Amino acid sequence: MSADAKAAARQPTTAANDSSAGVIHNIGYRRYDGARLGRAQIVRALMWHSLRGAFGFGRGAKAKIFPVLLFGLMCLPAAVNAVALATNPGGGPIISYDGYVPSLRAIVMLVFVALQAPNVVSTDLRNHTLPLYFARPIGRIDYPLAKLGAFVLACLAMIEIPLLVLYVGNVTQQHGASAVWEQTRQLGSGLLYGAAWAVLLASIGLLLASLTGRRVFAICAVGIPLFFTYILANVITHIGQIAYGPAAFGQPSKVASLAGLISPFTLLGGMLHWLQGSEATGLIRANDLQRVIIGNYGWAYGLVFVLLLIAAVGGLIARYQKVGVA
Amino acid sequence: MITQPSTPAGASAPQHVRGAVIEARNLTKRYGPTVTALDQLNVAVGPGITGLIGANGAGKSTLIKILLGLLMPTSGQARVLGHDCASDGFAIRTLTGYMPEHDCLPPDVTATEFVTHLGRMSGLPATAARERAADSLRHVGLYEERYRQIGTYSTGMKQRVKLAQALVGDPRLLLLDEPTNGLDPAGRTAMLDLIARIGSEFGISILVASHLLGEIEQICDNLVAIDAGRLLRADSISSVTQASAALLVEVDEGTELLLAELSRRGLAPVAYQRGLLIELAGEQTYDVVRDSVADLGLPLSRMEQRRHRIEELFREDPAAPGSTVPGQTTGAANVS
Repeated sequence: MSADAKAAARQPTTAANDSSAGVIHNIGYRRYDGARLGRAQIVRALMWHSLRGAFGFGRGAKAKIFPVLLFGLMCLPAAVNAVALATNPGGGPIISYDGYVPSLRAIVMLVFVALQAPNVVSTDLRNHTLPLYFARPIGRIDYPLAKLGAFVLACLAMIEIPLLVLYVGNVTQQHGASAVWEQTRQLGSGLLYGAAWAVLLASIGLLLASLTGRRVFAICAVGIPLFFTYILANVITHIGQIAYGPAAFGQPSKVASLAGLISPFTLLGGMLHWLQGSEATGLIRANDLQRVIIGNYGWAYGLVFVLLLIAAVGGLIARYQKVGVA
Repeated sequence: MITQPSTPAGASAPQHVRGAVIEARNLTKRYGPTVTALDQLNVAVGPGITGLIGANGAGKSTLIKILLGLLMPTSGQARVLGHDCASDGFAIRTLTGYMPEHDCLPPDVTATEFVTHLGRMSGLPATAARERAADSLRHVGLYEERYRQIGTYSTGMKQRVKLAQALVGDPRLLLLDEPTNGLDPAGRTAMLDLIARIGSEFGISILVASHLLGEIEQICDNLVAIDAGRLLRADSISSVTQASAALLVEVDEGTELLLAELSRRGLAPVAYQRGLLIELAGEQTYDVVRDSVADLGLPLSRMEQRRHRIEELFREDPAAPGSTVPGQTTGAANVS
């Protein structure tokens, strides 16, 4: 290449301006001299972006259908409760804060996590976008933590907002400071328990979804284990009771007591029983089919919860330590 | 443009090179016990546009990943813009824009949203990210299209988005991995013009990795050639391309006669495929070949100026000034 030809290549604008398609106009380059975000702020920006993505914002209208539907479904019991209280002022609340409606919550969260966890992590794998992130001031641990934070917040929104609706519906029908305080106290424990749901399901969901970049496979990778362990836990609990009978007077069998550890949903249910001292509050449970038997093994539910959480978060972080870039 | 004479293997590593944008010293990367991607690489790259040439698997992508601080070298050292790659990756990645070789764009978001988001990931505040995303997309030639979903784009437009996302964070250095991949000839020319303009007008140093020398030599100031993880040659583009020009001569019969005749007249022809390859020293080379063929009365079927393939270019030319012969590839070369 001669010096002249090289000079010509260096001045594309003069030549390119004549042609019509793909013209590159010279608008001058502006440097950026302003402040730059620190690492923590970048992680927060990624978290916010992913949280929006978990509900389909920033994507097409189609992406919003399921999150909105599921959220509406989740709020339904709270709405029914509010209407029931309003039309029948003498009656008490029909739904508890801690359990909410366990089987509905389990099914809705199962579908939500299975459908939306792939949106949070699998899309970046499928589109090979990860190299673009890791070529920026983002650490290997920053990315999974930002994604986890975003999805925990998304699950919290799904679980806690209906509880707040429930609270508003209840409080408007209460008279007296002590009754309102009692509602608030119950709401507090309900929110705390809901947070346990959000943290556990979000971390398990993201870990499973991050195993594959294909959306359909990711949905199956999350949904199938969650669904079948849930079924299995319930079946074994029943069989355990029928086949072995009570192990001791007043105590369910060992098999039935430990079956709940199999599924995250029954694990969470068992943990609640254990924390509450086995029996629930005086409120009527809308659905007792999902009642988990823990026997004397309540401590195991707490332990497995902690271990499972550590394993899921650790697995997610490890996954992104070695994921290939570029 | 200074090229230091190569030093034999085992000599002391070169000292820190002042003003070097990229610097590698005895850089070695092994994957497992058997695969060596980079082997004692010593090179210093100055400002401007530098071509990183090598066949597939030569270690280009590995070098880029090490430069970005994404891979740890097995041994040796690399510095980018004065920062150590192993310990200061965050600083490097703030100052560097990277355009990967492969497709890396989500189909279901608009170019504006995508580049804005990646601007934020480069550390820009929200407003600045929006402004610079719009600017970057205009610089690469995307206007109204930038509000469309990327999935509807042509390959050429996608390559432009990839370049725009590398540019959005206002980098001091761009690392472009095969930027013309998958483009048609017109698209290649447009992309190369764009890169040349970013390098000259925007004042951003650029390292362009490619396996096609003929393509990027048009826009590069300097050239770094690697093969099997070793430095073949680092030099200014002019000295490389001058040395690489060759004349391919084919005669229907009497190739041996012509070879002997050309040798007698002081040229050094090499049998190549069905013809002879002669180093092109200048206009007189054509005359000598013409005269030889005419004197021998041979049927000349082809006479064509051409370039060696990359590997040949750097291997079969040990006599060229500043070049590094394969046996001495661990030597240092300094392009400034």
